[in-house]
Amino acid sequence: MKRSSISVAILLGVLGAAVMAGPDEVKFPENYQTEFVNYLDVDRYDRKRVRRMYISAEALETAIPGEPLPDGTVLIMEDHDARLGADETLQFDDAGRLIAEEAVGNIFVMEKNSAWSTDNGNWDYAWYLADGTPRPEATFEGCFSCHASRAERDFTFTAWKFQSDRSN
Amino acid sequence: MNLFMHTWLAASALAVPAAAEEFLVTMAGSDYSPASISASTGDTIRFVNNDDTAHNVFVPTATHALDLGAQEPGSETELMLRSTGSFDVECVFHANMLLTVEVGS
Repeated sequence: MKRSSISVAILLGVLGAAVMAGPDEVKFPENYQTEFVNYLDVDRYDRKRVRRMYISAEALETAIPGEPLPDGTVLIMEDHDARLGADETLQFDDAGRLIAEEAVGNIFVMEKNSAWSTDNGNWDYAWYLADGTPRPEATFEGCFSCHASRAERDFTFTAWKFQSDRSN
Repeated sequence: MNLFMHTWLAASALAVPAAAEEFLVTMAGSDYSPASISASTGDTIRFVNNDDTAHNVFVPTATHALDLGAQEPGSETELMLRSTGSFDVECVFHANMLLTVEVGS
């Protein structure tokens, strides 16, 4: 009986580990700059950065406004330094937007997989460097806690709203 | 004053842009106050956090999206309106805080 209990506990532990995705489950999407859609840029005045937001093309095509994003959706937030003037002030283009420098900094990825169960539904997060390698010693508590505030939008700040806005 | 001078003065008056306006928006509880603004390009919105907790100015609307970062209690930040259109302002920390901004030319 005791052995059975231990066996069940071990089995449950294994199953638990299987559904709790870790950051290593969220792979770096190769060629995302050409295969994904850059649907929006966020100007970070405070950090003097531009954040380019990408969504997997299939997700953009199949998402239904007002509903959770499709299973398999991958979202990317790509950091760029913003162009500064000689006096270190932010420079703006003719549309009043910050100008992103070419070089890519951090690349944050969030992926939705119905086989995963996380604090944020089926979403998990990863943090990569510009060369596609995982950022060493990255932590993800901030990703989970910040995105939790947008649970009603499927834990996204811009993707769900972008779909909703473009349907209006 | 001849007709030419009158015409020149009238045209000059028309060409003078309206003075840029500043809109004050306070942040407290789960509200921006006022909750909507109609402004023009060149105008500025001054956000004042009157609360005892941090708030934020985050715009999730495409072509206007921006983030001014966390704004601590008692602090102020300014946003110049550089392009026309309408957009939403949200607080990253408080999902139900909403300000709508309409910017005309």
